Amino acid sequence: MSVAQRKIQVFEPHRASLPKLKPYLSEFWRRREFATELSRFTDKAEYLESKLGKVWLVLNPLFLAVIYFLLVSVIRGGSSKTNGFTTLCHILIGLFTFYFAQNTILAGAQSITSGGRLILNQAFPRSLLPLSSALSAARQFMPTIPVYIAVVVIGKFAFPDANLPGLTWNYLFLPLLLIPLAVTSFGLALLFATMNVYFRDTSKLLTYITRIWLYASPVLWLPEMVHGWHRIILYLNPLGPVLSANSRIWIEGLAPTVAQLVASAIWSVLALLLGGYFFISRERDFAVRI
Amino acid sequence: MRSESKAITEMPSNLAIRIEDLSIRYKINVEAKKTLKNAVMRASKGQKIRTRTVEAVNHLNLDIPHGSVVGIVGANGAGKSTLMRSIAGILPPSEGRITVDGKISTLLALGVGFNQALSGRDNIILGGLAAGMSREEIESKTDEIAAFADLPEGFIDMPVRTYSSGMYGRVAFSVAVNMTPDILLLDEALSAGDASFKEKSFNRMRELCAQARTILIVSHALASINELCDTAIWMHKGKMVANGKPEEITEKYLKFLDVGALPSSYEDL
Repeated sequence: MSVAQRKIQVFEPHRASLPKLKPYLSEFWRRREFATELSRFTDKAEYLESKLGKVWLVLNPLFLAVIYFLLVSVIRGGSSKTNGFTTLCHILIGLFTFYFAQNTILAGAQSITSGGRLILNQAFPRSLLPLSSALSAARQFMPTIPVYIAVVVIGKFAFPDANLPGLTWNYLFLPLLLIPLAVTSFGLALLFATMNVYFRDTSKLLTYITRIWLYASPVLWLPEMVHGWHRIILYLNPLGPVLSANSRIWIEGLAPTVAQLVASAIWSVLALLLGGYFFISRERDFAVRI
Repeated sequence: MRSESKAITEMPSNLAIRIEDLSIRYKINVEAKKTLKNAVMRASKGQKIRTRTVEAVNHLNLDIPHGSVVGIVGANGAGKSTLMRSIAGILPPSEGRITVDGKISTLLALGVGFNQALSGRDNIILGGLAAGMSREEIESKTDEIAAFADLPEGFIDMPVRTYSSGMYGRVAFSVAVNMTPDILLLDEALSAGDASFKEKSFNRMRELCAQARTILIVSHALASINELCDTAIWMHKGKMVANGKPEEITEKYLKFLDVGALPSSYEDL
């Protein structure tokens, strides 16, 4: 048999902290079907015995949006019905979008510690496990968009004066925004998944962090409410630019600003590089740490 | 240090696995609480997190030809499982090199990736995908795997949580041996199933050997090692103590257990 026909693998110590990226990424791509199927099977197992299970994925943020809307209305001292409906829609689409990021990060953070036997038995790029969690979060996010559209359509009949956009070409920016949103969330999931291997309370801490993060994001408040130099908080938040642009499209019907698009892209690259480096440089330790 | 490409070209064609001066060391956290809170508390006192370095495999050299069945024996903490995981590419070498020629299938942790809520069929697909097969490949083998596992009628489509531990083990074993591997790594997997399944699994392993496939078995079942293997290795504290005919090696190992210090206090790797 010639060397070319033989399937030879060589395992050596890492000379640098990162493995050779080309073979790693090509193996990651080759095994992507494992991530999609693992995500599909995990979702199937989770909702196998609960007919209403998947419906709760939509109902939960829907109810939360109503509760937050009531809270915001009380704090503001009430608002007109038409303004109130616009606020409700802003909270609703903001929560749906934030939940996608939150679910990617929370499930991704636990994906390594909960994949113990798989990690002890098989050699594969471990980043496929947080990827699988991100795919599950995306699958949960998709049905919330038609729900939001239904709420807007019904609301437009109930409140004809509601200041919400109709059909506009600017909606075509939405898929473009999903890319930095997904990449930023996946990058942060890689970072927290690694931390969770070393410090098992990371995932618990994350539930509090994401709650505070929600309040610090333009979900319960409109990005326009922040003025002057305070607007920097919109850009210091990794999800701030994406959520601001998201609200601008859905609520105002306007195209995202260049600053929002650039900041979203910068955060996604930073999160992926930082999370990816942290994760890939340590993933060969996972089998002895879990 | 030779380059990786040179290691590939220098690998003799009769070898399935070549292990050169392999050492595996790793640090484990020995803190009672592996938490961020504990790390911050220790850092505030100017203390580091307590770790211990485990020297699991120590300067090991080994050539395993294609078509051989190698049994690995040794006390707990000898480094057997670590060696198997490093051959599978799961644990990185700290020093040395492992060159492997062929597709590897592993059964190193029982019930690998099995989701209790899913059916046996779904778990077989998941197990195959984790091993690197495509969905089409694994689906074409699902019935064969289910038949080999000897599950009672209809059980293959029932949730795995309804399986007995024997059925669970048989499915895991069946997935591993039916992946048409070039190299099969089994760690304490010979105990799956009853006497008739054991005979069936031995026959399957003999079939694999007849096709020039290579099998490495870690087991405390010395009689099975003698029956199945053509070579055996005795490992102790990360080193290879002896290598040879299974009967001779297992006899030496048994003598050691009788006269030597019992290594039950060593860490179980």
